[in-house]
Amino acid sequence: MVSVSENTPLLRVEDITKSFGAVQALRGITFDLVRGTVMALVGDNGAGKSTLAKILSGVHPPTSGQFYLNGQSCRFDRPAAALAAGIETVYQNLALIEELDVADNVYLGRETTRGGAIGRLFGILDRPAMRQHTAKALSQLHIKIPAPTLAVRKMSGGQRQAVAIGRALTWGRELFILDEPTAALGVDETEQVLRMIERLREEHGLTFIIISHNMQDVYRIADTIVVLRQGRHVATLAKNDTTPEEIVAYITGAKE
Amino acid sequence: MSENATPSLLPSPTNRVLEFIARYGIIFVLVIMVVALSILTPSLRGEQYFLTKRNLLQVALQASINSVIAVGMTFIITSGGIDLSVGSMAGFAGVVTAIALRDYGVGYLGGFLVAVGAGTACGLFNGLLITRANLRPFIATLGTMGIFRGLALVASDGRPIYGFNRRFIDTFSGETFFDIPKPVIVAALVAVGGWLILTQTRFGKYTIAIGGNEETTGLAGIPIQRYKLGIYALGGFLTGTAAALLTARLSSADPIAGNLFELDAIAATVMGGTSLTGGEGTILGTVVGALIISLVRNGMNILNVQSFWQQFVIGSVIILAVMLDQWRKKQVRPQ
Ligand SMILES: Nc1ncnc2c1ncn2[C@@H]1O[C@H](COP(=O)(O)OP(=O)(O)OP(=O)(O)O)[C@@H](O)[C@H]1O
Ligand SMILES: [Mg+2]
Repeated sequence: MVSVSENTPLLRVEDITKSFGAVQALRGITFDLVRGTVMALVGDNGAGKSTLAKILSGVHPPTSGQFYLNGQSCRFDRPAAALAAGIETVYQNLALIEELDVADNVYLGRETTRGGAIGRLFGILDRPAMRQHTAKALSQLHIKIPAPTLAVRKMSGGQRQAVAIGRALTWGRELFILDEPTAALGVDETEQVLRMIERLREEHGLTFIIISHNMQDVYRIADTIVVLRQGRHVATLAKNDTTPEEIVAYITGAKE
Repeated sequence: MSENATPSLLPSPTNRVLEFIARYGIIFVLVIMVVALSILTPSLRGEQYFLTKRNLLQVALQASINSVIAVGMTFIITSGGIDLSVGSMAGFAGVVTAIALRDYGVGYLGGFLVAVGAGTACGLFNGLLITRANLRPFIATLGTMGIFRGLALVASDGRPIYGFNRRFIDTFSGETFFDIPKPVIVAALVAVGGWLILTQTRFGKYTIAIGGNEETTGLAGIPIQRYKLGIYALGGFLTGTAAALLTARLSSADPIAGNLFELDAIAATVMGGTSLTGGEGTILGTVVGALIISLVRNGMNILNVQSFWQQFVIGSVIILAVMLDQWRKKQVRPQ
């Protein structure tokens, strides 16, 4: 572990831009994220929120600019690099494989094998162990699912999102990025997810970036709010110094 | 995520029965066909002709080569792909093997290695077109269907190749214990191996994951291009194996051998319940599918039905199987 001074932010994002051909999805994003806090990333459709999340999780390289995790420069060339650095992301609409069961999803890309060296060579899955650990890990997170062998496609939206977040929490160490974690959920299910995030932040000091369109939710769980508009970084607000109305004004461009 | 686990999400008993029938219904179709043919043939021909060891082994033999190819096809279709080139690939691998045996004096094992090597190389080529050149599997393998057939014709000068290593023929064709044809043994081993790989290994799990959602699989840090390459190479490996069996059985390699094999392999796979949209595959279903195709041919021959009807019946079974699959998906997925 590198020694990290008290003042080093967990994540520092410096002037990141991203172009897809002629489309400028991000035009200079800069912020610091303090360990143990929740940052909301907000903005209208197409503002660039998911693009920023994908840069931080190694899906896209930035066109220019850099970011640092615990003061160390990150150059992720593929998702596996970000995962190895301890950054877990729950992607918008892309969280789980419906055809696999809960345990196979939680362990996707991180399978344990049985049968010693031969098992490792042929990748013989140790499903009993993975199922047992999944059940334990999810119950420690207070995530209730009928069974780790339930196929994801038979689960409700709330259960799926809980499993997706549970999977991220099982493996992540540093930073958790949730892209619209409650967009597909009903009122009760949304409440469950928000409570889970609050609890994890308070009890375990975890750090989150949460992308959301719901101002009530944002205002409730975020410590800081970063507003994007058409790829530009228009504001960084502290929750205690702002109001939901002001956030909306920045999002729509009523306020610059 | 509600406080108490929601029981309504667990499959109800009736749902489970329906799902079971939809998923394994093809086994009932097989059983019904066997029963029907055992009853029909004596009444039509005055003697039991179908339900004899000899005839049933013939059915299994006719299914074996298709089954070997279809196990590979099951991996490919489960991953969301398709391979239209397997027939041409089998023809090409057969020709290369026959030339190696006749002109280069490779032994019988050498001949087998040449067959699987040629098949694997063809599969890798398909995989490279799909992963590196970013071609859709349908287009890539439609192209190589022509390429492999063309190569087979060029290499053989368009003529069947005879007169090679007797030992090769004796080793890979004919019968073994209990008069079981050797290709049937090979097909059984391939089926068991394929089932183990698909259900018990990381490779099989990623095959399903890629077919379920390729992007999500990649986001989980899995090198999907490498796995796809492996899946097409496996398909080629098995097609090469089938080519060795075919060449030995016919004691010759015809450059146009394997014509339309892709249709039988795809038919066996989708009949068995492997989803053409990817993410779901069953080796057991594929083997049953291969047996049904063989039974249709065998039964129609015994009953003296004009052979033209065979294609019609097989085509109809494919369409029914896909309709059943779509219906089942609608039952399982809410909305
Ligand atoms: N892979 C890509 N190739 C080309 N353009 C892209 C790509 N990904 C995103 N874009 C473009 O970048 C812009 C920002 O997209 P992004 O998905 O980041 O928006 P968002 O803020 O997440 O929106 P939403 O709220 O709808 O999810 C859009 O104009 C989008 O079309
Ligand atoms: Mg988005």
